[in-house]
Amino acid sequence: MAEMMNGVPEHVDPRLPGGFQLPPFGIHQFLALMIVCVALWAVGTVWLGLQGAQQWIGSWQGSLQLHVYLPVEKADQMGELKAKLSTITGVDSVRHVSRSEAAIWMQGWLGDSSLNVNKFAQRLPESLELSLADERNQFLFSDIRDEAARFGATVNEDEVQLASAHELLHSIRKLAWFVTVILALAMAMIVSNTLRMILLARADEVHLMRLLGAKEWFVRMPFILEGTMLGGGAALLGWILLWPLVLGVSGWSEGMGIELSPFLLFLPLLLGGALVGTLGAVIATAKLVSPDSVEA
Amino acid sequence: MAAMADQYGIFNQRADVIGGITMRTRDVHGAMVKPKLAFVSINADREHLHGYCFPMSTNQTLIEMQQLMLRYPTGKVALSGISLAIEQGGFVYLTGESGAGKSTLLRMFYGGLRPSSGQLSVQQLDMRSVAEGDVRELRQRTGIIFQDHRLLFSRTVFENVALPLRVQGWEKERLVPRVRKVLEFVGLDDRLWSYPEALSGGEQQRIAIARAMAANPPIILADEPTGNLDEDTARRVLDLLMALNQYGTTVIMATHDLHLLSSHPGRVIQLHQGSLVGDSYG
Repeated sequence: MAEMMNGVPEHVDPRLPGGFQLPPFGIHQFLALMIVCVALWAVGTVWLGLQGAQQWIGSWQGSLQLHVYLPVEKADQMGELKAKLSTITGVDSVRHVSRSEAAIWMQGWLGDSSLNVNKFAQRLPESLELSLADERNQFLFSDIRDEAARFGATVNEDEVQLASAHELLHSIRKLAWFVTVILALAMAMIVSNTLRMILLARADEVHLMRLLGAKEWFVRMPFILEGTMLGGGAALLGWILLWPLVLGVSGWSEGMGIELSPFLLFLPLLLGGALVGTLGAVIATAKLVSPDSVEA
Repeated sequence: MAAMADQYGIFNQRADVIGGITMRTRDVHGAMVKPKLAFVSINADREHLHGYCFPMSTNQTLIEMQQLMLRYPTGKVALSGISLAIEQGGFVYLTGESGAGKSTLLRMFYGGLRPSSGQLSVQQLDMRSVAEGDVRELRQRTGIIFQDHRLLFSRTVFENVALPLRVQGWEKERLVPRVRKVLEFVGLDDRLWSYPEALSGGEQQRIAIARAMAANPPIILADEPTGNLDEDTARRVLDLLMALNQYGTTVIMATHDLHLLSSHPGRVIQLHQGSLVGDSYG
């Protein structure tokens, strides 16, 4: 019989229990892996969607801008309007956008076509660009509208809606965190339940190890490791499964100017999955009682 | 080495075996006895025997109890007023009817139960106040054999026997030869990679003995190890325990197979309804 140096035959893989030795992988673990994988994939999808929405409304710039248009015939009131708008709470700064700057922007927007935009630019109203400090201030937009109306100016309502969408995104982000936490708890429970079944199946082994004088960390470590590996493995699988989704919507997302990046989710998913798996294992092994444990 | 073996009163002559060996040693009184090892296929000269167990000094009190009492939370008194001492190197039978307190007393020896009153000292540890960490260390120095042997059927013979060594942090390089050695002692070194379910009841109990002796503990507690075995197999299992005792290991064995005493003499502690009713050598 061919044997290795330490006397163990080549076809035999001795699995010595306890310590840093992982338990054998069975059907219970496989099912838990799949369920946690789907849950983590769902979490990844939620955050990927949020990533796309953030890009879409431009919040990645870190600030929102709003434009106020003053008719050309009232251009002499520009300075006064600018000063008034600057005093509104929630407005960070106000900048005058000259017609020449608007023409350059328009030329670029038209793809640098040969069309002379100066004539169009001459017809444009005077523009003020407002940087907003806090778009969630509920009176901000009505204050801007009121001030602009007094000077006969108008507010770009599309941008107001975009700002509202940004506010909505804050709510969605909170919801995403809520969903993430709920799913994390559910995943921890699934891992915990799986490990409880495994612990039940291996109660004799745990009991025997304690009778032989094993330390608690030695008895529990394989199960903690298993929980961590289950969570981490499910996260890896879930992350891989995000790619078909990203590739599937790539045509649509490119058209919207959105670039989805699953790479940003890799570490959070992996660490989160491992953490959730470890938590489940700690819960499962918290009351690991054997009949012959030290009794009072 | 030879001087040491003689000093500890272990083996003083060579005994060759194929199908049975005869070894000469001293019993707990110091008298020479001749236990017959029917099936242990070893060449039992001093050098060879050294590999299985290390010689230990005798005449030290290993277990001592004074007015030991155990009352379960239900109020039932399992043991009461037991006072006795067990010396190192002895072979002790705990006898008595079912429910006499044999298994309970054995459980107290490895910290599975703690006395309600009285004193119990095991390997210099006061079992009433011993810390959990010390109980773990005590269990590492104690070999336990159960009536139902408690082998792990999902694991190989090797993995079963290696378990106490693994618990004590032995590296695989040391562990594998040691497991081979103890399995050789019980005559099952050819079943290293088998699963226990493929073995007979007697072989399973021999594996349990190998597991109990693997870490070379100074004491082995055997709770009716022959209870489920036929007479012939029971005698063979007892041969092994006697052989271990001859190497210096203290063996305390709960049993109600009194007929075994005729062929395997030792100290007999008799319990009846939780009380000590007899302590003799037979």
